[in-house]
Amino acid sequence: MKTEGREQKAESRKQKAENSKQKLTRSLLPAAYCILLTVAPAWAQSRDWEKEWNETLAAAKREGKVVVAGSPDPVMRNEIIPKFMSRFGVPVEFIAGRSSQIVARVRTERSAGIYSIDIYLSGPDTTANTLYGEKLVDPLKPLLILPEVVDPAKWKTGKPWFVDPEESYVLRPFRSVANLLFINPDHVKPEEMRSSKDLLNPKWKGKISTEDPTTTGAGANLASRFLNQLGEEFLKKLYIEQKPVSTRERRQFTDWLARGTQPICLNCREDDVRPLQKEGFKILEIFELADVAGAVNGSPWLLTLANKAPHPGAARLFANWMMSREGLEIYAKGYGSATLRTDVDESFLNPGNIPRPGANYFDDTDWKWVVKGRKETRSRVWKILKSR
Amino acid sequence: MKMPAASLPFPGLRVRLRLSHLAESFMLVFFAVVMGLPVLFLLWSSLNVAAPGKDAVYSLANWIRGFSDPGTLSALWMSFLLSVVRLIPAMILSVMVAWLIARTDMPGGNTLEFLCWFAYFIPDFPLVLAWILLLDPSFGFLNTLAGVLPFVEGPIFNPYSFWGIVWVHTSTNGIWFKVMLLTPVFRRLGASLEEAARVAGASNLTTLRRITLPVLAPMVLAVAALSLIRGLESFNTELLLGLPAGIYVYATRIYDYTRQEPPAFGEATALGSVFLLVLVVLSYFYWRYLRGKRFIVVTGQAYSTMRVKLGKWRYWALGGCLLYFAVMMILPLSFLLIGSFMRRYGFFNIASPFTAAHWQNLLMDPIFLSSLKNSLIIATATALAGIVLYSTVGYLVASRKSRGAELLDLFCWLPWVVPGILMSLGLLWLFLATPLRSVLYGSVWGIALAMTIKDSPVSTQAFKAAFLQLGPDLEEAARVTGASWGYTYRRILLPLVAPIAATVGLLNFGSALTSISTPVLLYSAQSRPLSILLMEYSFTGELERAAALGLLITLIISAMVLAGRRLGLKLTGS
Repeated sequence: MKTEGREQKAESRKQKAENSKQKLTRSLLPAAYCILLTVAPAWAQSRDWEKEWNETLAAAKREGKVVVAGSPDPVMRNEIIPKFMSRFGVPVEFIAGRSSQIVARVRTERSAGIYSIDIYLSGPDTTANTLYGEKLVDPLKPLLILPEVVDPAKWKTGKPWFVDPEESYVLRPFRSVANLLFINPDHVKPEEMRSSKDLLNPKWKGKISTEDPTTTGAGANLASRFLNQLGEEFLKKLYIEQKPVSTRERRQFTDWLARGTQPICLNCREDDVRPLQKEGFKILEIFELADVAGAVNGSPWLLTLANKAPHPGAARLFANWMMSREGLEIYAKGYGSATLRTDVDESFLNPGNIPRPGANYFDDTDWKWVVKGRKETRSRVWKILKSR
Repeated sequence: MKMPAASLPFPGLRVRLRLSHLAESFMLVFFAVVMGLPVLFLLWSSLNVAAPGKDAVYSLANWIRGFSDPGTLSALWMSFLLSVVRLIPAMILSVMVAWLIARTDMPGGNTLEFLCWFAYFIPDFPLVLAWILLLDPSFGFLNTLAGVLPFVEGPIFNPYSFWGIVWVHTSTNGIWFKVMLLTPVFRRLGASLEEAARVAGASNLTTLRRITLPVLAPMVLAVAALSLIRGLESFNTELLLGLPAGIYVYATRIYDYTRQEPPAFGEATALGSVFLLVLVVLSYFYWRYLRGKRFIVVTGQAYSTMRVKLGKWRYWALGGCLLYFAVMMILPLSFLLIGSFMRRYGFFNIASPFTAAHWQNLLMDPIFLSSLKNSLIIATATALAGIVLYSTVGYLVASRKSRGAELLDLFCWLPWVVPGILMSLGLLWLFLATPLRSVLYGSVWGIALAMTIKDSPVSTQAFKAAFLQLGPDLEEAARVTGASWGYTYRRILLPLVAPIAATVGLLNFGSALTSISTPVLLYSAQSRPLSILLMEYSFTGELERAAALGLLITLIISAMVLAGRRLGLKLTGS
């Protein structure tokens, strides 16, 4: 009896174990299925981008180099080129020149059927009006594959910001608050420069420097902004009655600012002023005035992919890496510009350059403003100033 | 009856005529292609008003827009005024200095000539900044010094003015270039004419004015014309000094059009056409002046190069020259040299203002060595090609009285009357349109060819003036003794023009090292020269490193000048 009872118990335990195993299996199956549903595509995707990335890398190595065109640029020359080369073993050839020179070169090359450039790093005017306007570029968006580049969470804008109407050609990775003006506080007290009217104080007659506003460049761009925001009367008073001293040489007005010869500088550049501040010169940036809202811009460049790029694999590799944390952080540090990535260290930036969340800024690199608004306003500025 | 060649009194003459005719035709075609075609391309493109990539639409709109721009005419007037005002005293001074160096017993002539070469190749931009440091009304060193004097109230110097620009130009471009070109020609002048004048009772000054200068007129006038055109095209100094004072020059207008976004090359070409007009007018007067005159100073007869004895005035002359060199060159150069070792150029009041970091950074720049190598290849090729090409052109232009030779002379002026960036664009188009584009485009050889073409005005005029000084008896004597034309050219004529050849070669060498506007559209990463690196430093505000590089380039050129001058002198047997 005992033996029978033991056998029954064993049978019963076996049955229970079997039941619980079946229960467990039944209950785990959907979860496992769910996990499989979630993980498999990601794993497959991971395998996909890795495969694509490796193929791109192999293609880049086969092609032997990537040719990048842009303005003369110490960060590119001294940091980006060596870093990219050490990271991927693919040399970067950098063709440096003024925008007009690069444009002239590219147009003439193309008229002869030559395509020598892979990537353009250019300012908004050249990018929008010439490279995009004359259809010299290809869609870049489909070529971004690095997970850290396509991951929406990595971008303050929720995705890589393509600013062209098709949202595919022109990639903008920077958005910094631009300086409105600089003052030398030994000569101009900060409280003396609170609103636009302070710029018109007769005390500052001949004491303001500006990049020549009668030709293409930062001087004309700022004058256009003033005309747009403050009107023609202000423009005339500032640029004619105040007799600002103009030059086209950025070093010249930065030196004037430091010496106090012209202690108010409308177009000094942050990267020129920073070394002076390090040397102990008390120079203050003013980002906005009471009646002039702050502005942001996409300096130092917008990135586009040349069509018929001679080294497409290397171009893709460069564009992806340039948009990665490593690539952009080098530029952000070199230029003091705020990037749109969420993971780039901004502790080294001047806090004034980082856009405040929710603040309303005038965007000097806004597509419509660059393509139409600024051109028209600039023509009006030239008409007003040249008729003086 | 046709006489057989063998029965001609000078059998080599026909061969010579054929050879020189062939050479003239070849040169004419070559220059028509490399100089005429780019200019035609630019003129033709300036009439096309269609958007890039669209079907051509021809109109005069670009020309009308260019010339109707307010301020264009006043800028043109200002350019002429500035050019003429600085040309006249600079020419007088240059002739005097060249004469003192080459024709008198003033001590230290060779050193002064070398200093001219050195000064000519110092980059303009940091030198202008040096003058600003010296003359600025607020912080200028000389104004501060003058302020200590009891009778001086307020600044007495102001570089941001018409006369400030004239002064600084006299320092940067004033006499150096002219002395460099004039000295070898003065040196070649036989002393017999001057001796005859002195025997007839003429003073040294009268001899210079009535004998020496008229005989050397081809070179003196060519140098004046070259300087006038260079003066009209100048804009760097005017940008730094003129703009703050509201002084605009014509070349600045052209420059503005070329750097617009997108660039307006049509309008720039339209405005540049004024230089072509100036060239035609100058050429006409030059040709009229030289027509029917002889300028032979070197013949097969007795040739003496005895120098004029200045007596006690030789030290006064040397003192005057040294004073000029000290003020116009040594003073700003010292600031430039110091500037290359300063943490911030011109800021002496910062803590520990001096550093060697700019030189270290320059030499450590990853592309410095490859750029240096490219530059040396380009400069050497340009110098050699310039000597070979333009000695032939100069000979043809001086010896052949044909329409072809006149046209050749005119073609050779073109690269200087077309603004640099436009000529570069024209050459880029030309290179890409030829089957040789794989050899020329983006290579050091393409840049060397472009630089050789760019230097044609000065090279041609220098050789032309030199060949005009040679008497025909030299060639005739060689032929009578059975020498072929090639042998005569190589063994008689070239050695006689060797000092000019050395001058041209060195000028081309230096120009190839410093030019930015010509290679900027033609270089690739493999052929990037030092001048592009210099452009990058200047563009990005790295002025101290630019000053260091500029000085380094000047030192390289100076070393070549020393070597080249020795070679030139050796060839003439001096």
